[in-house]
Amino acid sequence: MANLKEIRIRISSVGSTMQITSAMKMVSASKLKRAQDAITQMRPYAIKLTELLVNLSSTLDSSEGGAYSENRDVKKVLLVTITSNRGLCGGFNANIIKKAKSLITNEYKDAQTEILSIGRKSSEDFTKNGFNVLSTHDDLYSDLTFENTSEIAQSIMDSFTDGQYDKVVLLYNQFKNAATQIVMNESYLPVETPEESEGSVGDYIFEPNQQDIVETLIPKTLKTQLFKAVLDSHASEHGARMTAMHKATDNAGELKKELTLQYNKARQAAITGEILEIVGGAEALNG
Amino acid sequence: MILEIITPESKLFQGEVNSVKFPGADGSFGVLNNHAPIISTLVKGTIEVVDSNNENINFDINSGVIEMQKNKIIVLAD
Repeated sequence: MANLKEIRIRISSVGSTMQITSAMKMVSASKLKRAQDAITQMRPYAIKLTELLVNLSSTLDSSEGGAYSENRDVKKVLLVTITSNRGLCGGFNANIIKKAKSLITNEYKDAQTEILSIGRKSSEDFTKNGFNVLSTHDDLYSDLTFENTSEIAQSIMDSFTDGQYDKVVLLYNQFKNAATQIVMNESYLPVETPEESEGSVGDYIFEPNQQDIVETLIPKTLKTQLFKAVLDSHASEHGARMTAMHKATDNAGELKKELTLQYNKARQAAITGEILEIVGGAEALNG
Repeated sequence: MILEIITPESKLFQGEVNSVKFPGADGSFGVLNNHAPIISTLVKGTIEVVDSNNENINFDINSGVIEMQKNKIIVLAD
């Protein structure tokens, strides 16, 4: 049986780990709340924008998104992987990286693939393993605004219209609830033209004209789509970390209980041993 | 008429207004009560709002779209 001092040291180390994990859980919970608020704030904008676009383009004869909806043979693919900057959040980052690698080796094995990564975890992994990393945007999370995300979206759109890529795919964790994240593989470019709907445009005056408005709306929806993906991933990250830390805290609690039991057993055994020795000694003296 | 200014990050303004001036793609234009339905794109500039207490409020935007219908204006700005 392990000696008393060793067990005592282990109990105190498990105890302090437990304090850290439960503190991290609290921090993630409050960050998750804020990340969820950001998603809620963005929703009215996104809904109205799609509504306008669907209404407008359904009555337009050439419901085309111009340069952004051009379908070409898929020879070069850009994968946009959205992960987090920090670890300790379960399979959150690993799932995205795994998905990206399986896409590269299976679905797009005939095409040339490049990666644009947002979040240090995927940037590091792909660079280390020798994938073609076009650029990394790890500092986005320190200032997560629509403007900063738009810049990335704009650069992706530009490289698509320049013909550098024939297809752009987004990989991110969609936020379902605090405990569940869904790995999403979303086609970003070319834009799929909105489905035909019974949209009635009514008697609007168009400034400058309907076609131009649709053409300015499409880049906006693309920027919103990327922003939404990043916000979703951000909320998922905190959800995943919260769950992981909750489990870690639970495990530490169990471990501590087991160790305490072991400690008490060892202590009792030692006492019994001492008593036996004393009794034996006394007997010997009495003869 | 009611004006709503929405950005991806927050709702900037919501309320009753007397008149609004927008930086339209073809030059700036004003909207008064009971304006005809209109959809227009906006360029970088300032939205000048005169609210129901006749006070001026300004919002700087980079770009946007407005939709006016049934005396309700929705501005999607960023």
